[in-house]
Amino acid sequence: MSVVYCHIFRRLISYNPYRKKSTTMPLKRVFFWQPNAGSTVNSQILNEVSQCVESINGVKEGRWKATLTFYKPMLRDQALSAEFPREFIGISLPEQPNKYYFVLRFNKIVLESDSSIQLIMEKLQSYKSRVALNFEGFQYQLGDFQLRVGKVVPSHSENLRGIVMEVEYLPISSLEKSKQIMEEFFDIWQDAISKRSLPGRFIHIEPDFSDYGLADHYTSQHTAVQYTHVTSQLIASVQAVQTGRN
Amino acid sequence: MCCSRNYRDTDLQYVEALEILLQGLCGVNKERLRVHEICLKSGPNLGFVASEVRLLCDLEQSEPTWTVKHVGGALRGAGAEQISVLVRSMVESKASKNVLRLFYALGYKLDHELLRVGITFHFQRGAQITVTVSSVNKMLKLHATDEAVPVTPGIQLVEVTAPATSENYNEVVAAVSSFCEYLAPLLHLSKPGVSTGVVPTAAAAAASLMSDGGGTTL
Repeated sequence: MSVVYCHIFRRLISYNPYRKKSTTMPLKRVFFWQPNAGSTVNSQILNEVSQCVESINGVKEGRWKATLTFYKPMLRDQALSAEFPREFIGISLPEQPNKYYFVLRFNKIVLESDSSIQLIMEKLQSYKSRVALNFEGFQYQLGDFQLRVGKVVPSHSENLRGIVMEVEYLPISSLEKSKQIMEEFFDIWQDAISKRSLPGRFIHIEPDFSDYGLADHYTSQHTAVQYTHVTSQLIASVQAVQTGRN
Repeated sequence: MCCSRNYRDTDLQYVEALEILLQGLCGVNKERLRVHEICLKSGPNLGFVASEVRLLCDLEQSEPTWTVKHVGGALRGAGAEQISVLVRSMVESKASKNVLRLFYALGYKLDHELLRVGITFHFQRGAQITVTVSSVNKMLKLHATDEAVPVTPGIQLVEVTAPATSENYNEVVAAVSSFCEYLAPLLHLSKPGVSTGVVPTAAAAAASLMSDGGGTTL
C-alpha cells in the first residue's frame, strides 16, 4: 500500500511546475475533525490519524504547538456588553515565535504584531484572557507537503476537545495556484483515512480571506484567520453533540 | 523602561546649530522624522480604570509602518526625585496596518492626534540613545497629516531618550545625563514637565557652530 502512495506523491511532485521551495510563506489549509452524529472525538482517533500519516510515508519531524486565547472585555456595566466584540481572539503560531495575532471574527479584522503586544494588553487592563486552547501534536514531512496533526485541549486541562490537521504545501504561496494540488492531496488523504473506518472525517471550510483584507499571497495572518474559524466550528460541533445528548 | 529629558527651543537658528552639534557628537547621520501619533483612550465603560494607548505611524517610510506604544507611570519616591532624568515604563510593539481599526472596534476612542516632524539621531554612548528634534503639529481635520500646523510655532521639542531595564536603569540615567552635559552650552535639558529657559551661552554657542560648521570646540 505504501508503495502505491509513494508513486502518487511522486506524480504530484513532478507535476508541479512550482517545485522550487517558496522563498515566501508556503500556504496551508487547516482541517478539523468532524465526528459522525452520535460519536465524539477521542484519543484513539488521534492515534489512528497519526498512524495513517506514517502509513503513507510521512516522516515524523517533531512537535508543534499553537495557542488560541479568548479575551473578554472588562466592563463596569455588563449590560452594555453588546457594544463590544463578541469574539476577540489572540493567537500564537509556532512558525512565528516573535509574533502575535489578533482576530475579531465578526468585525473581519486580523492584526499581526510583535509578541510584546500581549504585555501592552496586560497593562491596558481593558481586556483579559478568559480561556486558552492549545493545538499541539507532531509534524510530518511528505515530499513537498508538511502535515501537522494535533489535539485541541484547554490550556490547563488534558480533556480532548478536538483534532486538527494542517496541510502545508511548501513550494507555493498563491492560494489560487495551489487549489488543484491541495485538492488532489486531500483526495489521496481521504482515500487512506477512509480505510480505517473512523467515526468522522476531516473538514476544511475556507474563510473568505478577502473579507479580512487578505490577498491571494498566503501569510501567517491567513493561518490566524483559519484557526479562528476552525475553533468556532469545533465549538459549534461540540455544542451540537451536547444538544443531541440533552 | 525609558529615560528621557526634553527642552523647548524658541529660535530656529538654535535648531540649526543644535543639528550641527548633534551631528558631531553622535557620529551618525541624522534621519528624517515624520510620525503621526494617534492617542486613544478607552471608552467610558471599558476597563475598571481608564487606559490610554498610542499608535505611531511612521510616514517617512515608503510604506507607512505602525507601532503600538504604551507609556506607563514614572518612577516615584525620594530616589526618583534625585534622578535628573525621567524614568518610566514603556512597551512598544510593531503592528500591521489594521491596528487603528482594531482598537476602535475594541472600544477605544480618539483622544488627540499629533504629527511630529523633524530629525532624529540613534547612537551608542554608554546606552542606546535617541535624540529627536521636532516640531509638534496638530491636524485641522481628522487624520489630515498634509494639513498639519504647529501647535506652538517656532518652538521645537528636543528629546533625549534611552531604553533601560529595571536592573540597569542607573547606568542608563548616567549615560543620558552625561550626554546632555555636552549640549549644555547650547541648551539645558530637564525632566519633562519642568520648563527651562534659554541658556546664557546659547547665542554665542550657536553663532560659533554656525560660523565654522561645528569645528570649534565649545
